[in-house]
Amino acid sequence: MNGILSRVLRFGVLIAAAILIFGTALLIANYSSANSSDFVTYTPNQIPHSSVVVSLSAIPQGIATLDPFAIIELGVIVLLATPVSRVLCSIFLFAAERDTAYVKITLVVLILLLFSIIVTPFIPIFNA
Amino acid sequence: MLGSEFLLVLFFTSILAGALGSIVGLGGGVIIIPILTILLGVDIHLAIGASIVSVIATSSGAAATYVKDKMTNLRIGMFLELATTAGAIFGAAVAAYANSFFLELVFGGILLVSLLPLVRQLGEDIPPKPELQGLAKRLSLRGSYTETDGTVVDYNATGPKRGLVGMFAAGLISGLLGIGSGTFKVLSMDLAMKLPMKVSTTTSNFMIGVTAAASAGIYFARGDVDPFIVAPVAIGILIGAFIGTRLLLRARNPTVRKVFALVLAVTAVEMILRAFGV
Repeated sequence: MNGILSRVLRFGVLIAAAILIFGTALLIANYSSANSSDFVTYTPNQIPHSSVVVSLSAIPQGIATLDPFAIIELGVIVLLATPVSRVLCSIFLFAAERDTAYVKITLVVLILLLFSIIVTPFIPIFNA
Repeated sequence: MLGSEFLLVLFFTSILAGALGSIVGLGGGVIIIPILTILLGVDIHLAIGASIVSVIATSSGAAATYVKDKMTNLRIGMFLELATTAGAIFGAAVAAYANSFFLELVFGGILLVSLLPLVRQLGEDIPPKPELQGLAKRLSLRGSYTETDGTVVDYNATGPKRGLVGMFAAGLISGLLGIGSGTFKVLSMDLAMKLPMKVSTTTSNFMIGVTAAASAGIYFARGDVDPFIVAPVAIGILIGAFIGTRLLLRARNPTVRKVFALVLAVTAVEMILRAFGV
């Protein structure tokens, strides 16, 4: 169980790191002489300094045009997905060990996690 | 400041934060947030967004090693994640109605007070092994790991319900304030459940990624995750976590406890200063 979970985590981290390094290389190529003060102010509901507005569907378009910001966003999403996939895999691994108590515990954690990631951004009180 | 200088400062700060965070079981926000806001003049929203990503990077980066070496207790981690994820969702829901001055003051105070029992046991290697009973026995909240010198450490958990309460509070804080959940997790496992220090920090490290992922959706959707800031942070943290895990596996429990106590003190002071808008 430990071996498989460890590999899932390592796999996710390496893919995320590769995408992030690629995006950062593009970022340095394009923006290294820009002034950092252009990047540190906050505008809600917009990916900063990019014409791409926050939404998953807008990211592929940014990647197609090699927009460093969209590529980095993709890397962050992959990084975000690693703990979630770790929880998902644990369910199957506990099931393989016939440990029903932990299958149930992990299932509840996964449901809470998915609720929080997918549903709560659309509920007004979570965004106030 | 030039964009390239900004990226370099963040990159090297993040290596340090990743190494320290992976040793003491927290996400490195303690280091990254003040560097971003005070030194680099970044808006606090963006700093917290970067901190959330740094937590996930530290957790996934270091957990791969800790899980493989059986230092992390997977069952204890999963069991306690019930409370942290529930706490994080509840915290995010009531954040709009919460008074952050009051919260930061209270939680900073709790951290300061919890320094006392921690300092009293500063030299302690392995806590006395409690008998495994009740809920801890039914859920087999025990384990063993091997030190690098070959010593096998067997341990049992006690106080699973106290642990859950502490973990709910840890989740609540991360949902409410976006920071500070690793320190509360380590404290819950150390003080309430009497686990060996290295098991507490590595299991906390394993859990913080899930707690942070639970709240990351909201930060992400709101545009608090700035690619320009997050990219050097995430890469630096992953490198730092790689270094930190090597250090922890060789470190002795009392050493880890001392480093944790120091980081705890700094976190407490930072939280109280934040309450007063510093």
